[in-house]
Amino acid sequence: MFNISKFTKPTWLSVSWLGLMLFLAVFGSLLPFKSWKFVYENDLGVVPFSPGHILGTDNNGYDLLVSLVAGTRMSVFIAITAVSLGGLIGSALGITAAFVRGKVDTVMSTVFNVGLAVPNLVLALALVSVLATNVDINQAVPTWRRVMVLIISLTIVLIPILGRIARGATLSWSGRDFVTAARSMGMRDRKIIMKHIVPNVLPALIAVAFLAVGVVIIAEASLSILGVGIPDGASWGGMIARGRNDLEYSPHVLYIPIIVLAITVISTNHLGDVIRASLDRRESKV
Amino acid sequence: MNSLLSIKDLNVSFDTPRGMLEAVRNVDIEIAAGMSVGIVGESGSGKTVLSRAAMGLLQGSNVHRTGTVVFDGHELTAMTRPEVRSHFGTGMAMIFQDPMTALNPVRRIGAQISESLIFRLGMSKKDALKRSLELLQLVRIPDAKSMLRKFPYQLSGGMRQRVMIAIAISCNPKLLFADEPTTALDVTVQAQILQLLRELREDLGMAMVLVTHDLGVVAGNTDYVAVMYAGQVVEFSPTTKLFADMRMPYTEALLESIPKIDHPAGKRLLAIAGRLPDPTDRGSGCSFAPRCRYSQAKCLEESPTLKTDPDGHLYRCLFPIGEAL
Amino acid sequence: MAGSGIAHMRNSTDVVLTVRDLVVEFRLGKDRVVRAVSGLSFDVVKGEVLAIVGESGCGKTTLGRAILQLPPPNSGEVIFEGTDLTQLPKENLRSARTAIQMIFQDPISSLDPRMTVKQLIDEPLEIWQRGDEQERSVRINELLNNVGLDSELVLDRHAYEFSGGQCQRISIARALALDPRMLICDEPVSALDVSIQAQIINLLQDMHDRYGLSIIFISHDLAVVKAISNRVMVMYLGKICEVAPPEILYAKPAHHYTRALLNSVPIPDPTRQTRTELLQGEPPSPMNPPTGCRFRTRCAASSVLCTQEEPQLREVSPGQFVACHHPII
Ligand SMILES: Nc1ncnc2c1ncn2[C@@H]1O[C@H](COP(=O)(O)OP(=O)(O)OP(=O)(O)O)[C@@H](O)[C@H]1O
Ligand SMILES: Nc1ncnc2c1ncn2[C@@H]1O[C@H](COP(=O)(O)OP(=O)(O)OP(=O)(O)O)[C@@H](O)[C@H]1O
Ligand code: SF4
Ligand code: SF4
Ligand SMILES: [Mg+2]
Ligand SMILES: [Mg+2]
Repeated sequence: MFNISKFTKPTWLSVSWLGLMLFLAVFGSLLPFKSWKFVYENDLGVVPFSPGHILGTDNNGYDLLVSLVAGTRMSVFIAITAVSLGGLIGSALGITAAFVRGKVDTVMSTVFNVGLAVPNLVLALALVSVLATNVDINQAVPTWRRVMVLIISLTIVLIPILGRIARGATLSWSGRDFVTAARSMGMRDRKIIMKHIVPNVLPALIAVAFLAVGVVIIAEASLSILGVGIPDGASWGGMIARGRNDLEYSPHVLYIPIIVLAITVISTNHLGDVIRASLDRRESKV
Repeated sequence: MNSLLSIKDLNVSFDTPRGMLEAVRNVDIEIAAGMSVGIVGESGSGKTVLSRAAMGLLQGSNVHRTGTVVFDGHELTAMTRPEVRSHFGTGMAMIFQDPMTALNPVRRIGAQISESLIFRLGMSKKDALKRSLELLQLVRIPDAKSMLRKFPYQLSGGMRQRVMIAIAISCNPKLLFADEPTTALDVTVQAQILQLLRELREDLGMAMVLVTHDLGVVAGNTDYVAVMYAGQVVEFSPTTKLFADMRMPYTEALLESIPKIDHPAGKRLLAIAGRLPDPTDRGSGCSFAPRCRYSQAKCLEESPTLKTDPDGHLYRCLFPIGEAL
Repeated sequence: MAGSGIAHMRNSTDVVLTVRDLVVEFRLGKDRVVRAVSGLSFDVVKGEVLAIVGESGCGKTTLGRAILQLPPPNSGEVIFEGTDLTQLPKENLRSARTAIQMIFQDPISSLDPRMTVKQLIDEPLEIWQRGDEQERSVRINELLNNVGLDSELVLDRHAYEFSGGQCQRISIARALALDPRMLICDEPVSALDVSIQAQIINLLQDMHDRYGLSIIFISHDLAVVKAISNRVMVMYLGKICEVAPPEILYAKPAHHYTRALLNSVPIPDPTRQTRTELLQGEPPSPMNPPTGCRFRTRCAASSVLCTQEEPQLREVSPGQFVACHHPII
């Protein structure tokens, strides 16, 4: 489907950047860093490119490079998990609905439309605040539970987005005669879906999944800024949230995670577009 | 001649894994307002690519196009894509060959027709829907009202094709490219649609390029015919002249291969032997030579150029029919 | 039930397919029903090529699919080789269906673009475990050669790399893989150009002769139909108008719609453009078909009787059956 030799410069940059992010997320913990919570008491608010602290430190003495690596792990983990789960559930629902048609489809598409009508952030906010509160207000919610809740909420946000794409693509593919042909050959429905529908729908879904990664990363950051994300700053959003307080004296504390986040989102969007464009080309040949 | 569309020395090739595919070669066509030109030829001869290139619809990094296309005084080949697109609908419109993939499967028919009315003509949504209904009636769709609310999969093949036609004529284009507009229709509806297109030409002065492989349709609906073979126009003449006095051996073979209604029942059909030459390998000599019943040794060496009869009849053959050897 | 009559049904032991009172309706919303096929009956004898022609939207495709139970008809019988397919449980239907295969109008959309030719033709063989890999591979080569494709050259290529005519050959090879006894061809050549049309029709004719297939050939090209069929059935709005062998039907059509159809065939000769008698009027809605004769709203010969009573099929000349109160004779 892709012709690597035809990649343009922005495409190469996007691929390299996302590769780097992925590398940091997976192998970041193996790098010879101290814990991101280690406080350099003598280096508070150091500017970037200082000896020992390439990206500087914040006003609490946290090394920003180390924080960033830890944040990358969390943000990327949340994004990939939520998009995979959302994609899996959404496409299962969307494909089934479109393949079966009838009442199931009507119900499903109504559900998707309602889900899409509510703005992403509002939905995520509502879900997080419902799911992530403790009965005892004074007791802090543990981080792992926050993360779980965040992933679940973002997954729920993504289901209608990806589900609708899957449904649309399935409608268009299952109307083709090769599906009827497969039936007349005696193929079972389940196998038709797995063999003829899913592989054809998948490329469109992957294109949208890239865009969805961007959506999730931004949503996670926004939630953190609103104070309902990951509380103690282990994600990009968390870093931005904390950096806000340091804006006056150490603006880099805010800019660094914002820049990283922006480049990542631009890269995923760009790759999503590239995939979509190559799909359109393939489609026009079919 | 005051031409509406003027195509000069148009070449289109595609960069494919197997090499350069020359889909359209050295085509010159002039179309005046209100004129109807038929393009006939075998599958793969470049009819669709020619009409898409003329409309500026071919895009992508693997497309190479040279030559000029001038529409209504504007040189399309020098325009950006959005500029070209601004001529769609009201200037040029196209009936696409494949109605199944050209319609959006998840949108209702009414919405798909009214879209361009709202967008191009600035109609209100209500007016656009009303006009959509009229258009559907115009293309003879039974029960047009309920059709507005249907999805493409609920339509028969012929109905989808008629919806495409309704969309194409919705903004009264000056030039209509009709790429096999009636292949999925039965003959009675086909006759009605062709009459509708004829009326649009007579009443609104619409010009039409009718791409088809049905020489019967060409006979009754066009002023001129261009016969294409292997990306080239191999014969061009007024329609009546072409049928009465064809010069190209290929045109003759094409006409022979049409199943005819006065053919005896159960008799085997005549097919043109062989097939189109490989479009990525344009060798020397006449492209039709391997299949031509009149071919001579010279045909394998020399590529015939376009010759003109005094009456404007063009053909590309070294030994045309009706000429003593 | 008021069908279109059964005078044309044959009481022979050679009958392979009998369709009786077939009704297919599509429900759109609460009380809106599209009556696509309304009480059709016909039969096909072994080795026969039955052509079905008719106006666009009259239910030809729906009829073809209903025979295969895709989707099953609302009522009626589809008896293939003695078994009523409408009564079969799902699992038996799955295997019974393989004896009838379908060829579609759009050759490209009937082949999965992601699969190679080898995978496409192997698919039916694999579902039914026809032989091990080696045997299937031999069979695939044989099928491809039979439809005039060089298996060496095509096996590993994808459908979209082929022209429409080649795709149609691949579809035919795939349809023949399970040794069907009947083919339903739904406008198999209307998307192809003339020179290829002739090749595909001739190929179908050869396959018909070689395998003794019965064929239901749906088409709107009356010239093609004339070349291939033994019997022609003309449909209008879900009903039968006329059934006759092609020699008779083309020479002296008895139904007014058949005549309109024949008059509309474009003639490839600019000097013989008659342009007479275009069929007038709107086609009626299949949701609310006219009473009596369904063609009466557009028929020049219609009478009061035509509005009141549905004409039944009757034999007007040997082998020619027509459902009309005032046939042309
Ligand atoms: N996007 C593309 N990329 C590569 N090759 C293409 C592309 N579009 C068309 N071609 C090739 O260009 C040639 C001409 O194709 P075209 O679609 O114009 O034929 P046509 O005359 O319209 O045939 P048909 O009657 O089947 O529609 C063919 O060999 C085709 O394979
Ligand atoms: N899935 C569906 N839902 C609703 N209506 C349908 C559906 N499929 C077909 N129809 C309707 O049934 C009628 C018959 O359609 P069918 O496709 O059988 O026509 P056809 O004779 O094959 O026409 P054509 O020659 O144009 O292919 C049409 O009115 C069509 O709109
Ligand atoms: S140039 Fe020769 S081969 Fe070509 S069409 Fe004429 S006679 Fe035939
Ligand atoms: S029954 Fe009456 S309306 Fe119907 S075709 Fe015959 S004459 Fe015409
Ligand atoms: Mg074409
Ligand atoms: Mg059909």
